Amino acid sequence: MIALIARKDLLERGRDGRLYWAGSVVLVLLFIALAVGYGRQSEVRAEQKAAQALDYKDWLSQDQRHPHDAAHQGMHAFKPEAALAIVDPGITPYIGGTLWLQAHRQSEVKFRPAQDATGLQRFGDLSVGWIMQVLGPLLVIVLGFNAFAAERENGILRQTLSLGVSPLQLLWGKALALAASLAALLTPAALAAAVVVTLGADAGEGLDALQRFAALALGYALYLAIFIFLALGVSAASSTSRVALTVLLALWIGNAVIAPRVMSELSRHWHPSPTKLEFSKALSAGLKSEADRAWQMAFGTTERWGRDVPLNKWGYALQLDDQTGYAVYDRLYGQLWDTYERQQALQAWSGLVLPVLAVRAFSMGMAGTDFVHHRDFTTAAETHRRTIQDIMSRDLVANADPLGNQHFAYQAGPELWSQVKPFDYHPPAAIWALRRSLMSLSILGGSLLLTLAFAYAAVVRQRAL
Amino acid sequence: MLRAIGLTKTFGAQTALDRLDLDIRPGEIYCLLGANGAGKTTTINLFLNFIAPSAGEVQIDGIDVTRDPVATKQHVAYIPEQVMLYGVLSGLENLDYFSSLALGKRLPRERLLQLMDEVSLDAGAAHKRVSAYSKGMRQKIWIAVALAKQAKAYLLDEPTSGLDPQAASEFSSLLKRASEGGVAVLTTTHDLFHAKQTATRIGIMKKGRLVESLDSAQIGQTDLQALYLQHMRD
Repeated sequence: MIALIARKDLLERGRDGRLYWAGSVVLVLLFIALAVGYGRQSEVRAEQKAAQALDYKDWLSQDQRHPHDAAHQGMHAFKPEAALAIVDPGITPYIGGTLWLQAHRQSEVKFRPAQDATGLQRFGDLSVGWIMQVLGPLLVIVLGFNAFAAERENGILRQTLSLGVSPLQLLWGKALALAASLAALLTPAALAAAVVVTLGADAGEGLDALQRFAALALGYALYLAIFIFLALGVSAASSTSRVALTVLLALWIGNAVIAPRVMSELSRHWHPSPTKLEFSKALSAGLKSEADRAWQMAFGTTERWGRDVPLNKWGYALQLDDQTGYAVYDRLYGQLWDTYERQQALQAWSGLVLPVLAVRAFSMGMAGTDFVHHRDFTTAAETHRRTIQDIMSRDLVANADPLGNQHFAYQAGPELWSQVKPFDYHPPAAIWALRRSLMSLSILGGSLLLTLAFAYAAVVRQRAL
Repeated sequence: MLRAIGLTKTFGAQTALDRLDLDIRPGEIYCLLGANGAGKTTTINLFLNFIAPSAGEVQIDGIDVTRDPVATKQHVAYIPEQVMLYGVLSGLENLDYFSSLALGKRLPRERLLQLMDEVSLDAGAAHKRVSAYSKGMRQKIWIAVALAKQAKAYLLDEPTSGLDPQAASEFSSLLKRASEGGVAVLTTTHDLFHAKQTATRIGIMKKGRLVESLDSAQIGQTDLQALYLQHMRD
């Protein structure tokens, strides 16, 4: 019975032109987004790889010099663009992808909570993720707003119910038809995206990219299912098709346009993050406090780089200075990043009633373009920075400090530079990303159950009169 | 087959149907006559369980429609005044869909075409979109659904309203053929001529009450008209 209803709905929708016109627009946009994204990503990834190689070559080709000078030159860590950034660039456009691994300081990330910048300004981006998050629900609304309302208005519902068909059978049949319509439209785009993502992945990472893509597809399927039941529920609960369309468009605007902006502000209000200035001040104060304690213990003074530190201890002092800072950076950056993640979690939870926020978090998470992935990259880059500093300082302690007054005359060469391996970052595996995104996936599931309950309540009240 | 026992329906303080007793046997065509608001459509809606009775009982094939509405709907075919179909689908596709819903399975194409033929819709009409159908043609599709369903009872609400004489006559013929096959028919109408031509029994309703129940064969057209007008004047 359900299949019969679905088949008829599909046939009808195919004939009335909505499926082709609305679907074609979305499909064309999806293919354009994929093509443009693939072209851009290929270019960016080639540039990133070339820059990373060139930067390491620069490091290795340093002349004989004092290791601390080399530490100041440092290296750069270029964040490899995730294979699925082509589908959902996430926060990538707002945070940049290059970190300077320099002496003394952990490179600053931009402190703008960029993952919040997915409200109005994101309308400028055309990505598969944006199309699915914003235009996907609109497509469902166009296809399904009158599913029940029109049949009630014209009397067909009365005749259908007189045949002994239950309203719930109609709900499932119509939901199946909508799902099949979307599947027919989106499957070619999904297959094309899967091919593009696999082609764009680094060697050996194709399977991981496909796994991420499969999870992403599941998330978007849940998201569209939410709107299928929402559209059917509203259609059943509305007195006319016009009312149903008006209500659904209002909900769409609330979900796609207003919610991201409002929840971004609310999450910042509930979990305030420091401004760049406040963070810099806190960092400076923390570093000074920790360094004062360490220098007092080591050299009996809090005055750094003064005459109380003999030149045969400068290597050790540099090492101490760096290492005392590590804990401060870990603590303060950790607090900052935890705040960002709490903001993101709050937004994701509001996805129960504003599903775009949950699917956005899940999509970025599985695409590897969310803050959690950025944090993983930044942590890896910082670990590499510390490795560079530790190698340079160890060499100074071993070879420059014994020279006493001639400490700064010491010069190291390529054999030391080559002890530092190139920065080789690989994003975490798909299963890691899925575990981190389980919350947003569960929220999508919860939201689906809520809309299903709403549709059920609206449909079982359907009467012939 | 179709029974109403003390059937009453009130909407607030207003009584739409007052203690109606009806018993329509297989092969009978019972026609309810009456002015607007007499309770004819309310009776049909009660038989379909579209509304619940305030008192009394409605039975189809011995089953109380309020207790087992799904089972009773399997035995009955409802034909409204305005049959609505899916305009972008052809007559055959509409018949295919609605008969599938009624039967829970699809009929072979040959059987569908045969049903179309039984209701005097030719192959050309079968493949035409029903947006181009006349009211009479749409009703024939619904009769075909009823035939496909092999319903034991038909419930018709003003079926000939708005039909041209030829279409109304064809429709009456279809009903008679169905009743000859053992179908019990309850139909409502304002059309005395149609009632006399089609029905085996005629009931006259007024303000929710059945005020007259007649054997159609024992009353002439003129007498029926006089009796009807007399009840309407009282």
